[in-house]
Amino acid sequence: MTSDSPTDFFTRFGASLLVWLKSWRAVSRFTAVAIVEALSPSTYNSATRSVVLKQIYFTAWQILPRFTLFSALLSYVLIQIVVDTARNFGLADYALEGVIRLLVLEVLPLMTALFVALRSGAATGTEVVLMNIHNEIRAMEESGIDPLRFELIPRVIGGVISVLALTAVTSALALLFAYFVVYGLQYWNLPDFARVMAHIFDLPALAILWAKVLAFGLAVTVIPITEALAAPQKLFFAPIAVLRGMVRLFFVLMLIEVLSLALKYI
Amino acid sequence: MERAPVRAPLIKNLEFKVGLLLALTLALAVAFIAYTLYSRGVFERTQRLVLVADNAEGVSIGMPISFSGFPVGQVERMSLTDEGKVRIEMSIPVKDAKWLRNSSVFTLEKSLVGSAKIRAITTNLKDTILADNAERPLYTGDAAQEIPELIIKVRDVVTNLQNLTDKQSSLNQSMANLQTVTGRMAGQYGVMGGILGAEENSRKVVDAIDRANTLLASLNGVSLKVDSVLTKTDQRLYGQGGVMDETQKAVVQINSILTDARESLKKADAILKNTQGITSDIKGATTDLGTLRAQVDDSLTRVNGMINELNRKWPFSHDAEVKLP
Amino acid sequence: MPDDAGRIALLEEHASAALISDSLPLRANLSVLENVAIVLQYRQNLHYDRAADLAWTLLGRFDQTGCAFKRDPDLDSNERFIARLARALILPQPIILIERPGLLLPDCHYPSFLEATLAAVEDLYEQCWIVDYPWNEPLYAPR
Repeated sequence: MTSDSPTDFFTRFGASLLVWLKSWRAVSRFTAVAIVEALSPSTYNSATRSVVLKQIYFTAWQILPRFTLFSALLSYVLIQIVVDTARNFGLADYALEGVIRLLVLEVLPLMTALFVALRSGAATGTEVVLMNIHNEIRAMEESGIDPLRFELIPRVIGGVISVLALTAVTSALALLFAYFVVYGLQYWNLPDFARVMAHIFDLPALAILWAKVLAFGLAVTVIPITEALAAPQKLFFAPIAVLRGMVRLFFVLMLIEVLSLALKYI
Repeated sequence: MERAPVRAPLIKNLEFKVGLLLALTLALAVAFIAYTLYSRGVFERTQRLVLVADNAEGVSIGMPISFSGFPVGQVERMSLTDEGKVRIEMSIPVKDAKWLRNSSVFTLEKSLVGSAKIRAITTNLKDTILADNAERPLYTGDAAQEIPELIIKVRDVVTNLQNLTDKQSSLNQSMANLQTVTGRMAGQYGVMGGILGAEENSRKVVDAIDRANTLLASLNGVSLKVDSVLTKTDQRLYGQGGVMDETQKAVVQINSILTDARESLKKADAILKNTQGITSDIKGATTDLGTLRAQVDDSLTRVNGMINELNRKWPFSHDAEVKLP
Repeated sequence: MPDDAGRIALLEEHASAALISDSLPLRANLSVLENVAIVLQYRQNLHYDRAADLAWTLLGRFDQTGCAFKRDPDLDSNERFIARLARALILPQPIILIERPGLLLPDCHYPSFLEATLAAVEDLYEQCWIVDYPWNEPLYAPR
């Protein structure tokens, strides 16, 4: 193995590239399957529904109060900073727009996705790894339950819905804060606010925002799950599979964010 | 069949909680989309206004048009006509259409920081309301940018002139003062004649003041004319005939009249200076004349200032010379 | 009954049979009752309450309702075996294959235990094959 002839190098390089490509293919295939399954009504039976419900409960409902509180605090501080800075530079007219763009379009979706990834993505990945290693997946198949439909797809659906829900709640709060910080505690600037909103959320921006949040939601569950399924059925591979899943998830989240920015501003 | 014992479930009201969250999310999403649609004016009845500009640099779809700083509509569509002009179609909510009249002027202004702004300027709110699908020119560039400001400034100047030539104004009062004093001097006591040493000089003073008075009277007339020109401007800025030209003419006229007024006041001043010098030993009369002179001086400075301002404001005036007496 | 290679070959031959094997564990994050009920929920789209009732009834026939709400790690080997059997039998099967019962039931005299257990649910299957090594044959009662 020590011989480092160019042929060996290229062989190794090619092999690792192939593994890499294969893993991405697995991710994209699983994503496609998940989307198709999520949209087909036959996926939803009594059993899968219960898994979806539990997934949403653990991913979104359980953290809702604390996460909302935290994101409200963060939004408030960021809004104050942006509005004050804009006023100092005589750009008060642009403060509202800037703050909404910053929070609703970028920071809050990404933060929600990261939070859900840290909490539920890691948990899902670990659980699927253990399921796989303990052969529970095959056990389910044996008793006539499609593990993909019963355990995995519902988690993806639950993850997507959770990310959507958390983003919606925190963004709504941020919009409220933005309005009250910029205009004060009154409602007669609503037309002005509406104009700014109309300016920010034109059709492309809305489409990009929706696509981005959906992509975040998919990534947060799909990537840990595929990485977990790809791991060999040996217990010592469990940490490695979770680690790989999380690292890849982080890069994918950032990639989605950068892509959305590029689409919007380039 | 045996019943499974009802066991406290792992998660209380799981379905309810998740349902609540889903409903909340859905409500937020729907409300958000509805609101963005509303804010884009989808549910609002709008009318159209077409602005034709030579250059639409800095204009973008969704850009607001503001009246007195308030948005009253936005750019909906832009296209290039066959003549190479830019057609900017704006949608104006029907409720805001009342701010746009037939005489309204539309300008495109660019600032150093931030985007360009389309402004609607309506000076006469009694004019008829702009019709749907009306087509109006959009003025860009420096000269047009200053027009609205200029109109306001010229109006200020005219008001000043009117105040100056008003019966209550200090200039008139000082003229009246001068007349009574000189009358008193010449008539009852003959101080004037004595002081000046010659009939001729005292005549000169009276003549100069008379001239100043008539000039100021005609100035009043001119300012009225400027006013009427400005009303016409309201109706059709840049119309055929060129409002610019007329305004310019009027301003030039004002300028020359003011210069005249200044000259005659200078003369009066000179004479009074002489008078003061001669009568320095006569106590009572001197103080009177001193105040008089101060007043004339004051009026003179004001007229000068006006000429100055007019010259500065009017970009077409070439001779900006200003000389203080 | 053959050796290990033979065992695997036999299992592959009867891939359609309901297999009860050490290599097919229960779902770890579900209780025994849920593990059994989930089959009905998934395959027949029964509501959880109804599926749980059926599962409870089946466990009752084994006299093992006590372990219904325990999860896999808390079960003893007999309970775990019953749970796996219940999962396999909640829907009637033509053939059930119990593979290496000695591995599944290490703490009891399993042939008699198996006999008693299977007798309780005789109506739910047509055939039951027990795959075991020849050297364990003396354990079984002669038929």
